Amino acid sequence: MLAQLLISGVAQGSIYAIVGLGLTVLYRATTVMNFAHGEMYMLGAFFVYVGLHGLGLPYAGAMSAAVLASVVLGFLVERVTIRPLLHAPHISLVMATVGLSYLFKGIARLFWGQDIFPLPPLLSVRPIQVRGILLTSQDLLITGSVTFLLVAFFGFFHATRQGKLVQAASQNLRGAALVGINIGLFFGAMWAASTVLGAVAGILVAPLSLLYPEMGTRVLIRAFAAMTLGGFGNLGGAVLGGVLMGVVEHLSGGYLSTVFMDIAPFVVIIFVLLVRPVGLLGRRQAVRV
Amino acid sequence: MQSVARAVPWVGLGAALAVLPALTNDYTQYVVSLSLVYVLVAVGFNIILGYAGQLAFANAAFFGIGAYTVGLLRVQLGVPVWAGLPAAGLVAAVSGALVGFPALRLRGYYLAIVTVAFSELMRWVYVHGGAWTFGPSGFSVPDPVLFGWVLASEKAKYYLILPVVLLLLGATRNLLRSRFGRAFAAIRDSEVVAVSLAVDLAHAKLLAFTVSAFLVGVAGGLFAVLLGRVTPDSFGMGELLLHFVIVMLGGLGSLLGSVLGALVLTSLPELLRNFQAWQEILFSLLLILGIVFMPRGIAGLLASRWARLGERLY
Repeated sequence: MLAQLLISGVAQGSIYAIVGLGLTVLYRATTVMNFAHGEMYMLGAFFVYVGLHGLGLPYAGAMSAAVLASVVLGFLVERVTIRPLLHAPHISLVMATVGLSYLFKGIARLFWGQDIFPLPPLLSVRPIQVRGILLTSQDLLITGSVTFLLVAFFGFFHATRQGKLVQAASQNLRGAALVGINIGLFFGAMWAASTVLGAVAGILVAPLSLLYPEMGTRVLIRAFAAMTLGGFGNLGGAVLGGVLMGVVEHLSGGYLSTVFMDIAPFVVIIFVLLVRPVGLLGRRQAVRV
Repeated sequence: MQSVARAVPWVGLGAALAVLPALTNDYTQYVVSLSLVYVLVAVGFNIILGYAGQLAFANAAFFGIGAYTVGLLRVQLGVPVWAGLPAAGLVAAVSGALVGFPALRLRGYYLAIVTVAFSELMRWVYVHGGAWTFGPSGFSVPDPVLFGWVLASEKAKYYLILPVVLLLLGATRNLLRSRFGRAFAAIRDSEVVAVSLAVDLAHAKLLAFTVSAFLVGVAGGLFAVLLGRVTPDSFGMGELLLHFVIVMLGGLGSLLGSVLGALVLTSLPELLRNFQAWQEILFSLLLILGIVFMPRGIAGLLASRWARLGERLY
């Protein structure tokens, strides 16, 4: 039972990990916390649904189209709503993302209405049984894809010239602009990257979860808990926190009661803030004034 | 003499509000009362969001806590509404302090995160509260009884709601013009400056958060009385969107803005109540367009035309 819960928890947690990673990337680059990030996740699943049922694409086609659509969406959001607020107070920027979150929910609701939609399973392979532990193909697919994505992401971030450029610009925008980095493009690219990370999570869970307009809120709160647990603003911390969050959720669901799965993130957030506010990997920051 | 001249418009406004029910039918009276409830919601929210500049997203939760407190006290324990309303404010204020305490001592987004999670937690409590909270379908609140009179009609309820809202509005105005209100604004504009002026950040933020929750809690209690029904769905993210739009379009950090925003925007959801998707789209577009093109809200527009309407805290 424990091993089974750990495995399903890691699979679920890897979803929180990339949602949290997307939020953290954007936060580090632009200092904006995107409250519409849960809707990026929802829209990822929504695009797959539209591709399958609206355009009649096969799964692979629908998923690729969904990734492309989310790249476009990320650039578009930055250009249309964030760029005009570049010099506005911080609270306006955050409130604009709150507005976006509701806008996307409303649009999805126009198409989905109040119903909840299941999609056909992606792989119809039987679950594999290893020493009494069930491994579903979907769990393996999610964990595998997320691992691949994370390796690619951190590889890009630390080893390529573009990745270093992103790190530099995140550290100091003015300095980056002075050495000729295109800040507008940088912001757009960061929004697109963050959106894709959220949307891919939604695309991965689309075949096995129920689709409804509010599905993003639930995941956003778990991503918040993941970031708080791992260390707010820490890229590795978001991933670690996400996986742990998934495990905690499944353990509380398995050993206590499934109703407690819903409040696990709140308990985690409060516990971390009381015991170790900087999180597992965070460091207390001295602020120069 | 001057003070008498200044009092004339206020007395006139008060008289107009007092005789207003003579001009309304039941439905318009209901919308007027609802607008008053939302005036209180917006003023409360504005204290933490607009004056203290803190990202607190638990407003709909405090609204719900107030409504549930009044409703449950009445239904489960038979506590009358006049005692339930202050209790609603206190329960909301205490939960506000408990939720805000760990987050307010930290910088950045922690308060936003905790309050978003808290809102979902409260909905969970209402839905899973079983016989205590009557579960997902909620419960009915009987008409309030005051000094032996049953306030059954919309007009009677208006005369309960109006004095409460006006009283709290006046108290809030005074609080904001005291050193506490100025401390809130100092924190919003620069925490460093506020500290250097001997403002205790954690204290002042906690005070702002508690006062805000208190006002919104009382508003929630009035909401329960007015609707006569309390359900978990009334206090979710959709409700929070309405609060956001009212405060942002009215004008952050402006009491007048909150009052105007609430009066203008409360009738809209009544028109769109059965079209949730369109309601979300319209309100979110209003919110985004307002932020981009009218950053200081209706109050900002008015203040740029008539300087007298601008708000001063000193």
